[in-house]
Amino acid sequence: MTFAINLGLALLIGPLLAGIVRKVVRARVHSRQGPPITQPFYDLLKLLGKEDLQSVPSLVVQYAPLVAFASVLVAALLTPMGMRAPLGQYGDMIVFAYFVTIAAVAVVMTGLACASPYSMIGAGREIMMHLVVEPVLIICLITAAIKAGSLLMWDMAAWNYLNGPAPSMVVTAVVLFLALQAQVGKLPFDIPEADQEIMGGPFIELSGPKLAMFQWAFFARQVVYASVLAVIFIPWGLGFAFPWNVGAHLLKVIVLIVLVGVIDVVNPRLRIDQAMSYFFWVIFVAIVAMALALIGV
Amino acid sequence: MTAQSFGDSLKNKFGDKLLEVEAAGVDQLYVRIVPECLVEVADYLYNDEGCRFVINSGTDRREHNGKFLITHFFAQDEENLYIAVHAEVDGNDPRIDSITPVVPAANWSEREARDMVGVAPEGHPDPRRLVLADDWPEDLYPLRTDVEHGIKPESCPDVAMPLVEPPEGASVVPIGPYFPVLEEPAYFRIFVEGETVVGADYRGFYNHRGVEKLGCSVLTYNQIPFMAERICGICGFVHSCSYCQAVERAAGIEVPERAEYVRTIMLEVERVQSHLLWLGIAGHIIGFDTVLMQTWRMREPLMWLCERITGNRKTYGMNLIGGVRRDITADVHGDITDVLAKIEKEWRALYDAIPGDPTLMARLKGTGELPEEKARELAVAGPTARGSGVAIDVRVDHPYAAYDRLDVKKCVYDSCDNVARVLVRLDETLDAIDIIRQALDDMPDGPIMAEIGEEIPAGLEAMSAVEAPRGEVFHWVLTGEENRPERWRVRAPTYANLQAVPTMVTGDALADVPIDVGSFDPCFSCTERMEVTDLKSGIIRVYTQDEVLALRQSK
Repeated sequence: MTFAINLGLALLIGPLLAGIVRKVVRARVHSRQGPPITQPFYDLLKLLGKEDLQSVPSLVVQYAPLVAFASVLVAALLTPMGMRAPLGQYGDMIVFAYFVTIAAVAVVMTGLACASPYSMIGAGREIMMHLVVEPVLIICLITAAIKAGSLLMWDMAAWNYLNGPAPSMVVTAVVLFLALQAQVGKLPFDIPEADQEIMGGPFIELSGPKLAMFQWAFFARQVVYASVLAVIFIPWGLGFAFPWNVGAHLLKVIVLIVLVGVIDVVNPRLRIDQAMSYFFWVIFVAIVAMALALIGV
Repeated sequence: MTAQSFGDSLKNKFGDKLLEVEAAGVDQLYVRIVPECLVEVADYLYNDEGCRFVINSGTDRREHNGKFLITHFFAQDEENLYIAVHAEVDGNDPRIDSITPVVPAANWSEREARDMVGVAPEGHPDPRRLVLADDWPEDLYPLRTDVEHGIKPESCPDVAMPLVEPPEGASVVPIGPYFPVLEEPAYFRIFVEGETVVGADYRGFYNHRGVEKLGCSVLTYNQIPFMAERICGICGFVHSCSYCQAVERAAGIEVPERAEYVRTIMLEVERVQSHLLWLGIAGHIIGFDTVLMQTWRMREPLMWLCERITGNRKTYGMNLIGGVRRDITADVHGDITDVLAKIEKEWRALYDAIPGDPTLMARLKGTGELPEEKARELAVAGPTARGSGVAIDVRVDHPYAAYDRLDVKKCVYDSCDNVARVLVRLDETLDAIDIIRQALDDMPDGPIMAEIGEEIPAGLEAMSAVEAPRGEVFHWVLTGEENRPERWRVRAPTYANLQAVPTMVTGDALADVPIDVGSFDPCFSCTERMEVTDLKSGIIRVYTQDEVLALRQSK
């Protein structure tokens, strides 16, 4: 059953949340009507029904969307979403970090396989962003692991739930929230795609089902990243009986993604160098929090 | 210094090399020189007198005297003076010395004169084709009088523009010919090392419309204002206004004062709507769509107001030679003040918010730098110049319409980057609202159109400039036979500002290039001026004039 919950949250709630953010946050701030909240599903269906153009004769471009989609799904199954993760006993935070990295690598490979200057630049930017954003996630998880004495995400969540907010965990939660914006590729950090500069970057040559797989993977990814932050660092509601624990988790995820949506709509895009220096500071604070955890604070 | 005294000082300096010096009023000077000393005169005007190069123009006068007339226009902004330097070159051997080595801003216009009338600039540093299509025949010069309007030379496929090679180690990122944030076709080849821009090359004029040819060979004096207004899709009124002023001045037509006030009000309304539009696009370029949506929402009531006053949201069709066709009557004054009050209130909120937005400022500060000396050298215009500390504004320096009776501020910033250009426009919009209010209060009663008795004689000339939202619009008219000008020359501000792109983008990150280009509010259609007779191929339905009219009226 947890399989169904995690997959459902990632694959169905992910696009729905994107639709809600577009309609309720983005369109409202723009003084627009906005599309219906189910629009992401229509978009996915339409793209999936289109001809699968082979605009780049490359096996990488052919399979990278599937690899990204599959790896995000595995990451979703490794993430506790209000209760134990379905694959929780098979993989810890390190396996999780590998799978989310595979998705990023699939994007980079796609960009490099397309012979377009825009996709090349997009791939380069994706690598740079990943190299500064991913360490934040890993350092934050290590901090929690030090506290909990376990590499399993459910143990970290349980420790935080039982032992209350430690100073290092609170700082880590804030740091992870600062990184969430970039992890889900929203403004001001949607630099690798940057429509107005490089026209979608790595995805410039993609259309139809390939593009749909990437988009769906990214909708699911927001839920996965928001879940990690919600379950480990904001452990409220973990003790509720089923289905209230899942409901509490969903509520936290919604609040986080709506917050991300608000930040997205009130910011212009940063340049890659500005994002780099921002994340050096975030990493620095994350390491300080880890040091705090090591000395037992 | 008046035109007369400036002309006298030129006569003392150059003596016999000046064939003719003629002052028109106190603010326009026409000199005819020996073509061999053009570079000397240009050097003197530009380097010693501090004049600004405006544009040049080539005219085929072989039917009159067997010669081509090449005219270089300069402006002395501190003295309220425009100077036209005529040089006649032999019709059988059309060559003239290039002034680009001493006046860098002349680069494009000399190439254009070569493309259009075939007077080759000798010693030009970059003699590539500028305006004509790559496959246009070598020896066919469309603005010559023996070339008919509307000819279509056969296209040949494998011709390409000779490209500038990128510097060693740099790669090329194309922006254009079609690019999402440039609304019109333009092709920038950006040379990058990593993400840092090290140079740029430009190819444009994909939509050249031959407007000047149309004006000098098909249309009549009073048809041209409507054509001129269609030069630009955003600020067309400046073109029809500038053209009408030039003809009025050449023919000595006295425009009623009320018409001048109506023109002033519409010019400022246009400035407000153009700056609102621009701010939205600038926001969109850096991914800030909220700014786009909100500024365009703010702009909409103004467009409705324009429709109420003129019958059209845009392209007002108000200007005719001698005045305007519609009055701004007392019953719309209330609407105007209401709409302006609302825009002013919301604009002030933006005015306070934008300089304090850290992410926005991080993107704009220090990018798109155009140092003051470069801005002067390239003779950029409008907010682009004023953002680089060059305090020029036609409304103050060379007042036209009713501006000499109104209080107009020059909005100047000197940080020379994208922030400065944003701030200039933020200030200017509030100033424009203020000017409209002053003009509404001061507007005298009276007629709005002058009585024009006889035909306009041939052989008269006049210059006219208008401060468009994007900078100085300049028109020169040489009157001719058959109720139409012999030559009508248009210079839009983007023509000058585009030439500053390589300077602005060099040293920036690739991510800054779109906003650098956007920061001077490029208007490619102004620069290119395509003919509007193009009908889509048979697949798309072509409406007849009556059908369009019916559609228009059923709205």
